[in-house]
Amino acid sequence: MRSTETVRFPKFQRRTLLMSRPFLTVLIVAALWIAASFAKPGFGAFGHLRYLVELGAVVGLAAIGQTFVVIAGGIDLSVGAIITVSAVGVPLVSFAGDESGAFAALITLAAATVIGALNGIGVALLRAHPMIMTLAMATFLQGLLILLAGGSAVSAQSPLLEWLGSARPTGVPAGVLVWAVASTLSLIALHATPFGARVFALGANSLAATLSGVNVRSTTVAVYAISGLTAGMTGLLLLGMNGQGYVGIGDPYLLSSIAAVVLGGTSILGGSGTYAGSIPGAVLLVTITALITVVNASPGWRSILFGSLILALLLVSGRESRRR
Amino acid sequence: MTPAPTLAARGVSKSFFGNPVLRDVSIALHPGRIHALLGENGAGKSTLINILSGALLPDEGVVEIDGRSFRGLNPRDAHRAGVAVVQQELGLTSQLSIAENIGLGALPRRYGLIDYRCLARRARAAMDLVGLDEDLATPVGDLPLGRRQMVEIAKALFREPRVLILDEPTSSLSAHEVETLTSLLDRLCAKNVAILYISHRLNEIMRVCQHVTVLKDGVVTADRSIEGVEAADLVRLMVGRDTGHLFPAWTPTTDRDPIVSVSGLSAGVLRNIDISIRRGEVLGVGGLVGQGQEDLLLSLYGALPASARTAEFNGRAKLPSSVRKANALGLAYVPADRKREGLHLIHNIGWNLMLPSFARAFGLSLRDRTKERALASALADRFTIKGDLTRQVQALSGGNQQKVALAKWTPAEPQVLLLNDPTRGVDVETKREIYALLRRLAGEGKAIVLSSSDTPELVHLCDRVAVMREGRIVATIEREALSEEAIVAASMGADLMRTAA
Repeated sequence: MRSTETVRFPKFQRRTLLMSRPFLTVLIVAALWIAASFAKPGFGAFGHLRYLVELGAVVGLAAIGQTFVVIAGGIDLSVGAIITVSAVGVPLVSFAGDESGAFAALITLAAATVIGALNGIGVALLRAHPMIMTLAMATFLQGLLILLAGGSAVSAQSPLLEWLGSARPTGVPAGVLVWAVASTLSLIALHATPFGARVFALGANSLAATLSGVNVRSTTVAVYAISGLTAGMTGLLLLGMNGQGYVGIGDPYLLSSIAAVVLGGTSILGGSGTYAGSIPGAVLLVTITALITVVNASPGWRSILFGSLILALLLVSGRESRRR
Repeated sequence: MTPAPTLAARGVSKSFFGNPVLRDVSIALHPGRIHALLGENGAGKSTLINILSGALLPDEGVVEIDGRSFRGLNPRDAHRAGVAVVQQELGLTSQLSIAENIGLGALPRRYGLIDYRCLARRARAAMDLVGLDEDLATPVGDLPLGRRQMVEIAKALFREPRVLILDEPTSSLSAHEVETLTSLLDRLCAKNVAILYISHRLNEIMRVCQHVTVLKDGVVTADRSIEGVEAADLVRLMVGRDTGHLFPAWTPTTDRDPIVSVSGLSAGVLRNIDISIRRGEVLGVGGLVGQGQEDLLLSLYGALPASARTAEFNGRAKLPSSVRKANALGLAYVPADRKREGLHLIHNIGWNLMLPSFARAFGLSLRDRTKERALASALADRFTIKGDLTRQVQALSGGNQQKVALAKWTPAEPQVLLLNDPTRGVDVETKREIYALLRRLAGEGKAIVLSSSDTPELVHLCDRVAVMREGRIVATIEREALSEEAIVAASMGADLMRTAA
């Protein structure tokens, strides 16, 4: 019966790759790097670029969970607060027998995952709007932190945190290594498992997903839990790199995580996108930050510049397609 | 001597991306005449409507209004000349009230503000014409599909059009609403309005229209008076060959045991329903639109919180409490609104075909792309879905979308198939394929529940038809007693035949 003249699955075409948003974002990053290294000597040095990617790892880790949540049609505004909780929380859960610091890290990650899952339960079962639910969670966590940690910075030392912050096995910073492993796993989960397909189904049309037998509740809880977990990892990495944690350490990463997702071509309306775009998106963001730092301006102007540049980039690299 | 046409297209051609959609098409709409436009999905009907209403510019040819030709007709000109289109895809804003929707774009103003009193008066008048008695302030989203369609027609009438183009106006209307519409069209005709009427229901066209234009693959194959034309002739002109009967011949299977039986079912608008579904039968669900048919299917499918006195599903004594449990019990549901409920429009055809399998599989197992592609291709072949499966579903015509919505359940091998108006807005050829498929599945011992607003479908395809009114099953008509009259009578409350449910 199979008709020979119809091609059901046409061969992969080079044009498809060239036209894809992730690839476009990679091009923008490359163009910026090349231009900046001509404009400012030292920018293009290997050490500096490696440093940029290391900073990108922090944003990129937080953007993993955000990508899952956004593709599933939601948004997680508690990312910054969860990062702070895990950065400040490690010293609170450290105990004497745990010499490597691995247990404290695991407990922290578990707590971050549970916080994320609670977000998901609020969204899926209580039917709270994702913005309201996660914003309320962020406010709650900030209050909790002030009660537990007070206003002062906490410092934590453990072999694990030290490794995260400063180790460079074969020249690659440990943070970048962790990011690479986490990225690979999330790309597989998103594009090569039924779970990933359900996430896309949920974001594109949750009603049709429900009627197709997709377990919308458990999928929703899972994406927010993933977001909690990756925010927790971000917090640990930040603590390792900074040596100390303080209330507010995670705040800048809320907007960055969302911006990285959107710059990478994932639809903020949900249902389409890929983490493969958020990776160059994260590097693009830290590159812009670095370039702005080079410009000798007051912090106020830098912030204004940063916001304007993100808007301009979104205008250039793609708005939402109109056919929705 | 006929009067000059109010709206006409002369020698119009149009192609999209090099594919000719219309070739040298002419059509003339005369005042006081109901003109039918017939053609399969993809024949170019929608393109022609869009050209007539100024939404698209023809590559060649002209559009004439009152004998004046327009090369670049735009929607404003067409609107000003009194051309109103009732689209097949409802273009209403569900959060706004009925009155606001009717007036949208032509709201009466006073001192620069909306004159709500005038709007209410005129909207009410338009609603009376189409027989809508709902409160003007009701949000359109709260109305069932058929009523929304009537609002859409009232919206067109509000503008007092001289040319009224109706694109499948009856596809979601009940028999009663179709009656109202028919008499309305007759009255508009008497007022010298020119009407273009597009429908897939031939007997309706034979009854309502005076003139017919048939399109096949973008070419006019007939342009003549409807007098003396046989329905079979029209079908042949549309599909280009003799098609035989639309409905498959079949013999009822005897000795059928129930696979689902529920008594005292209450959910949504449903009150105390007893129903039993047997293996190997097509059980029809009829009635006026919005009498609880959808709630019945959804509650059996676990998608609507429901309670029942006794229930037995495929040997399990419990109503499924979720869609997943219903799927596990061998039930599948194909929704009426395939764009909103049945498909993921922005995802590709292959992916849509695989979705129920993704929902069933263990979440973190690895997908086998080779297997997925083979399965999707096999499904597409079997359901004659043509072409590349990596296209987005929204690129497909209505009939092909419906095939995807049906085909995606096949790998799950459902024992009970719940279908909600599966042939709405579907072309004749696809309808025939769907009918044949349903009978074949019934022949294999599957149970099929077919809710439909198309009464002939219920008469010719079903072993039994349960007729619903106000959330109850008011009659179950057996095959021997099935007729359009019996179904309509029961749905309107005239108890002609009643047999035990």
